[in-house]
Amino acid sequence: MEIIVCVKHVPETAEADLVIDESRKRIKTEDLVFDINEWDEYALEEAVLLKEKYGGSVTVITIGPEDAEDTLRKCLAKGADKAIRVTDKAIEGSDGYAIAKILYNVVKDLRFDLILCGAQASDDGYAVVGVMLASLLGIPYATMVRKMEIGDGVAKVTRELEDGLEEIVEVKLPAVLTIQTGINKPRYASIMSIRRARQKEISVLDLKAVNLAEDEVGEKGSWVIVDELFVPVRKKKGEILSGDLDQVVSKIVEVMKERGVLK
Amino acid sequence: MTAKILEKEELMLIKKLDFNVCLQCGRCTSSCPIFPKTGLNARTLVRKSLYFVSPLTVHPPLDLSDVNKVWDCTTCNICVVRCPRDVKPMDIVVGLRSILIERGEVPPTIIDALENIYKFGNPFGLSRSKRVEWAKDLNVKRVSEGNKAGLLYFVGCVPSYESRAQEVARSIAITLNGLGIDFSILGEKENCCGNEVYSLGEKGLFEVLVEENTKLFQQYGVNKIITTSPHCFNALKNRYKLNDIEVQHYTQFFADLIDKNKLKFSKSIDKKIAFHDPCYLGRHNNVFDEPRRILENIPGVELVELRHSKSRSICCEGGGGRMWYDPPGEESRLAEDRVNEAVELGVDILAVACPFCLLTLEDALKKTGNEDKIQIKDVMEVVRECL
Repeated sequence: MEIIVCVKHVPETAEADLVIDESRKRIKTEDLVFDINEWDEYALEEAVLLKEKYGGSVTVITIGPEDAEDTLRKCLAKGADKAIRVTDKAIEGSDGYAIAKILYNVVKDLRFDLILCGAQASDDGYAVVGVMLASLLGIPYATMVRKMEIGDGVAKVTRELEDGLEEIVEVKLPAVLTIQTGINKPRYASIMSIRRARQKEISVLDLKAVNLAEDEVGEKGSWVIVDELFVPVRKKKGEILSGDLDQVVSKIVEVMKERGVLK
Repeated sequence: MTAKILEKEELMLIKKLDFNVCLQCGRCTSSCPIFPKTGLNARTLVRKSLYFVSPLTVHPPLDLSDVNKVWDCTTCNICVVRCPRDVKPMDIVVGLRSILIERGEVPPTIIDALENIYKFGNPFGLSRSKRVEWAKDLNVKRVSEGNKAGLLYFVGCVPSYESRAQEVARSIAITLNGLGIDFSILGEKENCCGNEVYSLGEKGLFEVLVEENTKLFQQYGVNKIITTSPHCFNALKNRYKLNDIEVQHYTQFFADLIDKNKLKFSKSIDKKIAFHDPCYLGRHNNVFDEPRRILENIPGVELVELRHSKSRSICCEGGGGRMWYDPPGEESRLAEDRVNEAVELGVDILAVACPFCLLTLEDALKKTGNEDKIQIKDVMEVVRECL
């Protein structure tokens, strides 16, 4: 099976103090630690498991600066065979659509049975790239995949819905599947294995190499532009009412009338 | 995942260990405190590995599918101490772990700890900027460019970030300041010492930590290091190659000051205290007397010995990566047995000198419902109370 995995190099923000930068559209990232996007890690593991079962190869693609090669090398250490990085100054400010366009241009001339993406990215959480890529390629897709079985020219996947509900769909290959966390247990990539992965080549492409013009990417090529990124202002704490149920209900009705919510 | 049989390169990770002389007597397994709990069998692991270093050319393959118990080992060193032939079963456990590490077949919680140590310099994944919060209202000097640090207090990850253990770091800093002893800390630059990284078999990461920490010691002119944790003490003294730097555990440093009459106490604490020997201070490094000397010199202290003391001390089950791993199905930790032993002896305080012991014993105290019977305190906390 020829599998392509799209991965993103994102900052670790769970325990960090985040500061909005001067543009008021992004966070400052100089002091943050970066790593592979968690959902993409599960996607990569699934791809390598499929390769181990069915043979073939795994290609990882990322869009990002030189630091993003750390993520590509982790993937190569875990079993990916080829890595591609697309980088260009003009890509800054791209939304999911612009990113999907870039990936589409890289992927459309490659041979593949399956493209795996993480269901979403931990930094902006849009969850659109995989779906847009499939639409541009004109191939089927399924999102939030928690389990998959490969059959003859099809993938039978279990999708995670709300409340523990699951939906099983059969998707004709080639297809794009976006992967939900928990589908597998990602293996560990030791430091020595990451060092050995330096021997595998990473192809670096710019916009020209993927046949895109500057106005097709970045803010100009996007459908969604970030207006402002800000930390919500902490308002005064709410009021906790006391008393028995009838007393509390009367108080609430009073407040609602005062605030014009009830006429 | 990949084939269960050992590959040639993997053999090299255990082949260099000299254990041909193993008699298969089983003393290691019968001494192992984890064997009765999870079935971790040191003798069997050595036997299976022996085939690859013996002259036998035909032998059963080392099937890695049943060596997952290697993660249960706490690296307490009892097997090494008890072996009549100087085989080091613990080293073979570490060797097998390094094979699994290279294959990527590692329990998820251990993966998290290792990745956090690589990315953030501590197993918690907490920001480096918070590493010195324990000292925020204390007068603690950080190393600085152009100044020779001399004595370095290597705090360690747990005392830096974990709120209960931060009291130990504070006690050490306050005592050093009170005695007018000049010392520095690495502050946000301090990285995990890597003792557990080594025990988990992640050789590559351990080498990275050794390189980074050694560079820092050289850069800031450190000539002596004292540590909070016996684990850091063990790593820096025995596993790093710090040729011109003297490494001591804080109990050795302060016992020394007591011997020279430089550490005196003004208050007394009328308590019956038993000292719990940490594996990495006692069994690994034969430091038994110094912590006791400190406690005996504190006025009012009645020092008693637990049934399992000194080299027979019961491991708290925190070492060897066990702070980040629970073997499936294990019902209770050894720390609970230790707490019960102390309660049975009727002590007021069970004294520790290791942050892992501190945390596991405090947890065990709560789990066994003995919070109103005894207290767990670090030796340094008792010292600070009586300064």
